[in-house]
Amino acid sequence: MWRSRPPLALAWLLPFALIFGGFQLAPLGYVALGAFRVDDGWGLDHFREIATSPFYRQAIGRSLEIALVSSAAGLIVATLACYGLTRAGGRIRRVLIAFTNMTSNFAGVPLAFAFIILLGANGTLTLALERLGLVDTFNLYSRGGLMIIYTWFQVPLGILLLLPAFAGLRREWREAASLLGAGRLDYWRHIGLPVLWPSLMGTLTILLANAIGTYATVFALVGNNYNLLTIRIANLVSGDLFLQPQLASALSLVTVALLTLMTLTQQRLTRGRSTCG
Amino acid sequence: MRSSSATAAPAAKTGRAAETGRAAATASAAYLRLRGVQKSFGETPVLQAIDADIDRGEFVTLLGPSGCGKSTLLRTIAGLSSLDAGDIAVAGETITHLPPQRRDIGMVFQHYALFPNMSVADNVGFGLRMRRVNQAERRERIDQALTLVDLQAHARRFPHQLSGGQRQRVALARALITRPRILLMDEPLSALDAKIRQHLREQLRSIQQTLSLTTLFVTHDQEEAMMLSDRIFLMGEGRILQHGDAESLYTRPASEAVASFVGAYNTFDAEQATRLLGHDTQGRRFAVRPEALYLVADEPSSSLPPNPGPGCPGRIVARQLLGSIVRYRVDCDGLSMNVDTLNRGARFLMATKTPVVVYADVDEVRVMS
Repeated sequence: MWRSRPPLALAWLLPFALIFGGFQLAPLGYVALGAFRVDDGWGLDHFREIATSPFYRQAIGRSLEIALVSSAAGLIVATLACYGLTRAGGRIRRVLIAFTNMTSNFAGVPLAFAFIILLGANGTLTLALERLGLVDTFNLYSRGGLMIIYTWFQVPLGILLLLPAFAGLRREWREAASLLGAGRLDYWRHIGLPVLWPSLMGTLTILLANAIGTYATVFALVGNNYNLLTIRIANLVSGDLFLQPQLASALSLVTVALLTLMTLTQQRLTRGRSTCG
Repeated sequence: MRSSSATAAPAAKTGRAAETGRAAATASAAYLRLRGVQKSFGETPVLQAIDADIDRGEFVTLLGPSGCGKSTLLRTIAGLSSLDAGDIAVAGETITHLPPQRRDIGMVFQHYALFPNMSVADNVGFGLRMRRVNQAERRERIDQALTLVDLQAHARRFPHQLSGGQRQRVALARALITRPRILLMDEPLSALDAKIRQHLREQLRSIQQTLSLTTLFVTHDQEEAMMLSDRIFLMGEGRILQHGDAESLYTRPASEAVASFVGAYNTFDAEQATRLLGHDTQGRRFAVRPEALYLVADEPSSSLPPNPGPGCPGRIVARQLLGSIVRYRVDCDGLSMNVDTLNRGARFLMATKTPVVVYADVDEVRVMS
């Protein structure tokens, strides 16, 4: 009986395999090939252009900057929130987790709109803060504004990813440590954070990927006025007067390379740290 | 037959009274002293005015069913749970309000609680590291502690690479390395399989005796408690129901609650006891261990107690093999009881429906309070 099960079980994966192949692998292959396609055959011309153009280099730099800052900020806030959630009572925890679930799916144009009416030039909060004399001017459509909106959507994702790791921290470890003479800081330094380290790094990588790949929110907010990788790629395939899909493919491949590099770094940083029991 | 006061008399001769409801109060000599310890979770009382005195180097077991408060008592001694009222003192020093870090108490947890990110050596040495012991001394003491639990070869391994028994030995070494004044153990063997448990029990007792370490051990396993302990505190509903050495607790339970937990005591009312013994008895409730009853299928028999009485005729209704023991369920015209006999082999086993006579050893019938 068991021998006949695996092929049958595998058959259920067929729809997933079709979707994954058709919408993930095939476009990736198409992009990979397109990136090396030039007018008279194959070459590295597009990559050369990206490397020498201050405009594209700025897009890469800004994408990396906003991803790193918002992911680091998001990770710190999410870590503190998870710590708070593990100590909170059952009811508060359930409410906050439900809220986090909802906000983690609140992205794109609706999120941009929400921020515009809250923190835009005539946003409710902006006007209130100005009237209270807490800020002189606040520009949502700037680097600082983007950092805030990015961090906002990174936090709930970070919480959802980190919460299981925090739940895995056993009370007995803290108790055993305290009986052995460890204070709260000692516990976090020697046990809590080292145990969480692989999860923290894994979450950071996903947040980085999330930030680098963000398009809809930022486009709804600043249009073409802020130079980021995703905005450039979109312009090259649909927005500009002269479309350059091959150059867009090369930029996409640069994005893939950056994410791969981050993932490899994360794996290197957490190698041998993953433990069980 | 003995009343509850009668049960206390011979025990007192041996110096270990089987006091009920409260502990012996030799306050001045006690190493660990608990006075009026109380704790509630919300409206539910978990510990109800517990008094106890434990001598230096003594191995004491807190025995009782789940939820009786034994683990909570251990946690209050460790400082992991606060008290609502009462005092705890070690060697004359009150530690009631000290944080766990300053109590100088070691603890072994049921599920080991080893730090998964640290090697065996780092786990064991953690307490010394927190006490800023220099590295050379630390290394030497880690080596000694691992030798004590027979795990020198595993120093570089991580907890997830060890078996359950090995993990618990690491946890023991970790708790012992700081030379605590008291060692607390919260059901440390219950997550292990029977064979390892047996081996670890012996090792545990031997280490405790070698170090002459005052130890409080929590278990719900009666056999474990009897095998290990100098004294057993039997707990129920947040109180110490009875305490004493294994022999006095087992053979002289002072209440039905104790009798129902230690051994598979048969309990009878006065009318049933009269039928079993063949004469009137004083008291309302009685208990007798299943191995203190004698089962005879073909009279006359030489293996009867000194004063067997007329016996109670009945029939075997069920038989249960418990390894070296065979437990028969016997029905004597409506009076039902368990009788344990040694399992001498298949040809000695009695079938169900066999007519038998049950005799009781009068000296082993206890009057319950």
